[in-house]
Amino acid sequence: MPLSARGRQVAGELRGGTSGVSAGVLGCEVVRHDELCVGCGRCVSACPTGAMRQDDWFDPAQLFAAPAGTGRGVLAAALRRIARHEPTGPFRVPDRVRTFRGILFNADLCAGCGACVRACPTGAVEACPVPVGDAEGVPRATASAGARP
Amino acid sequence: MSVPALATSAVTASEVMADAADGERSIVAFLCRECAYSAADAAGNARTPLPPTIRTIMVPCTGRVSPLHLLAALADGADGVYVAGCLEGQCHHRVGNFHALDRVAFVRRLLESVGVEPERAAMFTMSAADTPRFVATARGMDATISRLPRLPRS
Repeated sequence: MPLSARGRQVAGELRGGTSGVSAGVLGCEVVRHDELCVGCGRCVSACPTGAMRQDDWFDPAQLFAAPAGTGRGVLAAALRRIARHEPTGPFRVPDRVRTFRGILFNADLCAGCGACVRACPTGAVEACPVPVGDAEGVPRATASAGARP
Repeated sequence: MSVPALATSAVTASEVMADAADGERSIVAFLCRECAYSAADAAGNARTPLPPTIRTIMVPCTGRVSPLHLLAALADGADGVYVAGCLEGQCHHRVGNFHALDRVAFVRRLLESVGVEPERAAMFTMSAADTPRFVATARGMDATISRLPRLPRS
């Protein structure tokens, strides 16, 4: 997987990072909470490896899951008042509608740098420490200093 | 419903619909200040009869209208909403009407996904001098909405 120029720079600066290598080498596991996402796309612009991407599709169920009081929550409340049934499947979003889009996260491309976490205005992207050691039987270690952004 | 009033018109959809009689349908029209509102104004000056269901809200540009304005109007009692702006390529703010076109398309798909007729939201374009087109679209929208069943509101 080719890294972008910014990705190579980030990978080169960090201890343990190797240029051209991705998949969690830099220390954290990225977890997305779609119900908090407002679709601003800042994580997409911040991502150095292209692991975050704005989708061309939008699932209205994501609106209905948004917390009340937020912009999407108010929109969902309006829609719920006139709805005849639960929202059905995702639909294709017109080109110029930029915010009502799903965000696709490709964990295979993620370098674990946490840039998306810092960029997210609503806390919809969370960085979790990755397990240390091999996968079998080793409990999840707490994050060492610097692993968490 | 806490939807901010549109900056220049200082009214919300629920305010303009407040005088609708019980059982009477209402259609909220978001009109661009540069084109469609001028056309509507000329229609008013010429005393052209318009459907009584039409409620107009002036916006500085159709690009100001968000999906929330349209959906909140429907949720607050409107049976239909439409946006009328400048002709394609003649938006005074360059691309406002293209943004509105896509947002209305988005709202139509959203309505469809919850089982509401997408015809309840529409977008029209017209020039400032095209009063006959404004009258025709207003009457057309009124005819479309009067054929649809009432919206369920919980």
